[in-house]
Amino acid sequence: MGHRVLVCDDAIFMRTMISDILSGAGYDVVGEAETGVQAIERYKDLRPDLVTMDIVMPDMGGIEAVREIIKVDADAKILMCSAMGQQALVVEAIQAGAKDFVVKPFQPSRVLEAVQRVLG
Amino acid sequence: MDVRQYADLFLTESREHLTAFNQLLLEWERDPAATTSVGGIFRAVHTIKGMAATMGYAPVADLAHRVENLLDGVRRNERAANAAMLDLLFRAADALERAISESVAGGDPAPGVAALLAELDREAAGGGGTAGPPRSQRPSEPVILPGTGPGKGRGVVVVLKADAVLKGARAVLVLRRAEQLGAVSAVAPAPVAFESDSFDGSFSFRLDAGASDAAVVAALTSVGDVDRVEVVQEVAEKDKAAAGVEALRSRHIRVDLRRLDQLMNQIGELVVARGRLAAIAARFAEPDLHDVSARIASLAGALQTEIVAARMVPVWQVFDRFPRMVRDLAHQMGKQIAFRVEGKEIELDRAILDEIADPLMHMLRNAVDHGIEPTEERVARGKPAVGQVVLAAVRERSTVAIRLSDDGRGISRDKVLGRARQMGLVEADVAALSDEDLFRIISRAGFSTAEKVTDVSGRGVGIDVVTNAMRSLGGSMDVRSEDGKGTTFTLRLPATLAIVRALMVRVGDELYAMPLTHVAETFRAKPGDAQRIQGKEAVLLRGQLVPLVRLRTLLGAAAPSVPYRSEPVIVLELGDRRTGVVVDALVGQQEIVVKSFDSPRGALPVFSGATILGDGVPALILDAGGLV
Repeated sequence: MGHRVLVCDDAIFMRTMISDILSGAGYDVVGEAETGVQAIERYKDLRPDLVTMDIVMPDMGGIEAVREIIKVDADAKILMCSAMGQQALVVEAIQAGAKDFVVKPFQPSRVLEAVQRVLG
Repeated sequence: MDVRQYADLFLTESREHLTAFNQLLLEWERDPAATTSVGGIFRAVHTIKGMAATMGYAPVADLAHRVENLLDGVRRNERAANAAMLDLLFRAADALERAISESVAGGDPAPGVAALLAELDREAAGGGGTAGPPRSQRPSEPVILPGTGPGKGRGVVVVLKADAVLKGARAVLVLRRAEQLGAVSAVAPAPVAFESDSFDGSFSFRLDAGASDAAVVAALTSVGDVDRVEVVQEVAEKDKAAAGVEALRSRHIRVDLRRLDQLMNQIGELVVARGRLAAIAARFAEPDLHDVSARIASLAGALQTEIVAARMVPVWQVFDRFPRMVRDLAHQMGKQIAFRVEGKEIELDRAILDEIADPLMHMLRNAVDHGIEPTEERVARGKPAVGQVVLAAVRERSTVAIRLSDDGRGISRDKVLGRARQMGLVEADVAALSDEDLFRIISRAGFSTAEKVTDVSGRGVGIDVVTNAMRSLGGSMDVRSEDGKGTTFTLRLPATLAIVRALMVRVGDELYAMPLTHVAETFRAKPGDAQRIQGKEAVLLRGQLVPLVRLRTLLGAAAPSVPYRSEPVIVLELGDRRTGVVVDALVGQQEIVVKSFDSPRGALPVFSGATILGDGVPALILDAGGLV
């Protein structure tokens, strides 16, 4: 059985691409979320092995969502998806408890490496 | 991975974000001091940038990046927008749209983009002299480390890979990992410097931990993007997970609209055939046949519900492009206009929505160009300087009404009447026009009173174009106009197309279908019920006079040889207008599949289309708009 992954991004484009990369490598994308609030709800429902989290999302951003998820599950494995130039935000996310990050534009090999690192 | 497969998705989603971009810009323009829209615009542009970079569309990503920079500065300093900056952003939105289309089409970027980029950079740099601190100096909580003084433990030097992205963030991850092994101290450079763009990816710290050198190196290297860790020269190679299992999961797919049209047509035929099967089954006392007929009936019904739902889209998908258009037109013509959209969430069949997009745009242009007066004229007439234009969608029973109102000068009845006299459309002695007369005249092909031709509305009002579009969709249209006060056009449309429930009526030997969309009720009129009022037939229905139209007369069919004892009347209702249509017989209700219909020249304007009945017999579809 592949690890169960929750993909959080406000763009369908990004969700589709991340899901395709992960599914192609045998991971099981069990859910998607478009906002931080949704991400927290889905996390509670699904208890995935890994979460990919966009930083900039409407409603509630990714960093806030990381904080909330870590409150629910201190061992949550969250991989931040950021863009160039978001260093400060990524650092903030790591301080909030995110385990690793990947930078857009995504290279599938990089994404998969990061995922493997986070899942240990 | 071939990213081209994502091009359509990229295009669709980018356009949605561009729409949001434009809308938020408009909001911002209305209240330049408020910076609440900026966050949303930033997100939209940021998302476009990320997607474009992934697709390898450098011109789009670059443009988006510069817009983002500008917005970031604005957000940070809470700068109020000025007209020049908003104008620049509007142009940037247009340029982004072009760049996106060009990139997807594989063409070259349009000329002139370089100048725009430079302008964006200048605007971003010239933040009113109070440019905020660069990101690296932003106060950031150095919560990770207990301190940077001389500490205990082994010295560790970490060098990140040269091609690592966001080296500072990676360094923070390395330190986090180190903290799991033991106490970390004496980090150099200080973590605050990690966020600087000049951070080169090498740093050192002291680690007081019990793990072996090899274990430390392995642990820190596992953080990723680490070139070397200097304690022991040994780098653990990570396992590569076996890629496998083709398990594509996806909850949404995008379907070509033509496929849905096909499906809709076929389901339509199925629904009609179902009616035929039920009729045949009724002739045989065969329980199995009845069972299977009932089963097919319920399945076809479910299919129909599904396909109709799958085709419904909220009207904002078309309406959202109008605010920007009205703004640009108003600017161009030097008019002040407040434009409002109501009922954005009301849903219509995708095909109907597509069909009305152009007519609506046409009417909006008219409202801005001919309807709303220039500011001076409004003020001189004692009206508010800012003209109001409202586009509203509301559900009215099984129809959706789309209303376009303006508080402009109204349609000049005198001018219309004068022109109508010239064209011989009205008798010379007609002194005043009712709203109905007005509408009939202005919706005639080629009718125009426009004194001068502007490049906004082209020649004349072209209401005939809109009327024809409405008719072919099985909808209707009317106008209310008051001199000096404004004009309201109302379009009434069926919420769904293609399959409609219709009342089948007979006149002579022919069957006709009357869509139930506008049917209010039916009743039987006895001889003597009808009265003649001003030379026209009418009946009194619950105290209200309803004018009668005899379909038999209208269609030129011969009078029945034996007078009927009573006649069926179908009461049609369009807005607040009612008409009773007298037919020979009501045959029953059934679903019909509407076929597009090119009405021959000179044909009566009372048909909106045709349909093929279950037994293969064609029938014409009556147009309520043409009868009322």
